[in-house]
Amino acid sequence: MTPLLQVTSCTKRFGGLVANHDVSLTIESREIVGLIGPNGAGKTTLFNCISGALHPDGGRIVLNGVDISRARPERVCRLGIARTWQVVRSFGRMTALENVICGALRRTSRMGPARARALELLAFTGLAGKEDVMAAGLTLADKKRLEITRALATAPQLLLLDEAMSGLTPMETAAAVELVRRIHDELGLAICVVEHVMEVVMPLSHRVIVLDHGEKLTEGPPVDVARDERVITAYLGDRYRARS
Amino acid sequence: MAASSPRARAGRAQQVAWVVAALAALLYPIPFERSGYIYYETVGFLVLLNAMLGIGWNIIGGWAGQFDFGPNIFFATGAYTAALLSIHFGWNAWLGLLGAVVVSVAICAAVTYPITRLRGHYFAIATVAMWMIAQPIGATWELINGSRGLFIPVAPGKHLAQGMLTMEFSGRGKGLGFYYLALFIFVLTLLGARAVERSKWGFYFRAVRDDQDGAEGIGIDSRLYKVIARCLMAAVFAAGGVLYGFWALAVLPDQVLEVNWNILPMMAAVVGGLGRLWGPVLGSVILIPISQLMTATLGAGPLAGRGIDLIIYGAIIMIIAGGRPNGLLSLPWARWAGRLAGRRRAEPAQG
Repeated sequence: MTPLLQVTSCTKRFGGLVANHDVSLTIESREIVGLIGPNGAGKTTLFNCISGALHPDGGRIVLNGVDISRARPERVCRLGIARTWQVVRSFGRMTALENVICGALRRTSRMGPARARALELLAFTGLAGKEDVMAAGLTLADKKRLEITRALATAPQLLLLDEAMSGLTPMETAAAVELVRRIHDELGLAICVVEHVMEVVMPLSHRVIVLDHGEKLTEGPPVDVARDERVITAYLGDRYRARS
Repeated sequence: MAASSPRARAGRAQQVAWVVAALAALLYPIPFERSGYIYYETVGFLVLLNAMLGIGWNIIGGWAGQFDFGPNIFFATGAYTAALLSIHFGWNAWLGLLGAVVVSVAICAAVTYPITRLRGHYFAIATVAMWMIAQPIGATWELINGSRGLFIPVAPGKHLAQGMLTMEFSGRGKGLGFYYLALFIFVLTLLGARAVERSKWGFYFRAVRDDQDGAEGIGIDSRLYKVIARCLMAAVFAAGGVLYGFWALAVLPDQVLEVNWNILPMMAAVVGGLGRLWGPVLGSVILIPISQLMTATLGAGPLAGRGIDLIIYGAIIMIIAGGRPNGLLSLPWARWAGRLAGRRRAEPAQG
């Protein structure tokens, strides 16, 4: 069976800086993959390449057998990948409901069904009762939740979450992790989570991919990756490896 | 009933406001027609024309969030197209209007697509550039008779109804006729814009305005929707240009490419409330009479031609920008209306 998403030797340079070098990975359907690495490891760049916000300088990105390496973001979304951003990109002067309707209109042009779908999803993600609040007026946790809801409304097969939990309180983080689990269990999506907080990714992911300095360091089940010497070094530096 | 919520009361107040506004718009020219002050019918015509242009500009500027500083090139395109069709092929004004809309939208799509790569100020600068390029073209192109312009031949309609069908009126019927023509096209524009606002396009325009990257991330082709928004604006400006051309009976480059056709619709939208359907309507009702009455009352006096109306415009803009940057419609009208209606109902009960 071919994987849902296949990234083959993706390379992205910004001038002299190589943000991604020869990164290959696959994501199967209905899988939760954690993409981790220290700051500046190239996680967001890889996300941007997959979602079409950037185009890789080398390598191929294939979704369901379709090459999306050079596709624009709106086409990538149509083909089944939805994403959220590290810095929230909600439509501030539209209500929460209108934000999600914009996503739902990807699958239907008629307002009635789009609205019904949006209300359903807002209830699913726990934003019921906030439909008529302007997105700019929501808390950060709710804005991130809204962005996930909007992404879900486009009916993706793969959801890319770029630090959906950063900046949240421990309680909000727990709720967000719970939401990601429910999206996986009840909607059956493949999810790729970018985080640099290990405590969030480890219990959530089926498989973890570690990036460092733009290259793939290792991948595997969370338990193995957490024990990996190279990963500990990448995060904490040589001094700590020596001590352990 | 007695314990109706403020929201329901505000809703009823809104209905009353609707009926009053509709009646006022319909009956407005009657007293002037009877008393012979038909100049005020022209003021009404210009208010409606600018309100309609403002609604059109609001689609690209208010909803799609792309400031277009050169919309009058489509006003001019519309006026010239209908004039040419009338002169060379004898097309009726309404057919000419259809042709003008088609031509303007086609030109708009062609010239707008390349500049949709630009964002924010850069898009605005490109629209100004288009307007500046259009001016020498309008003044020199032989097909449209250069700076001498085009004159529209008219056979005066015999009575009001017939005039409405051809946009041609005789003598004193003209003020009244064009007022109702403008009212008709204005209402069509308003209803059309309202339908767009509630449709997929309306949602997508606002999504692109609020966050272009976010919009593209959920599958919205931002360049396409910027083009669509500007083409809708171009259609409205073209219709306005035709109306103006048949009113003036001539299409002169320095008139149809006048900077006021850029500034006034935009100002009307900003003063009334950017991105609100009724914003440009309220803005026009306030701004246009000021400039017209200034010109009329100071026309012969010592202050004639000193641009007093521009000074007043500047003051209004400063007050709005400082005190209510979201426009007059952002004031809590519904709450006030609800309170007012509530008080009125309470009075008989007390007595």
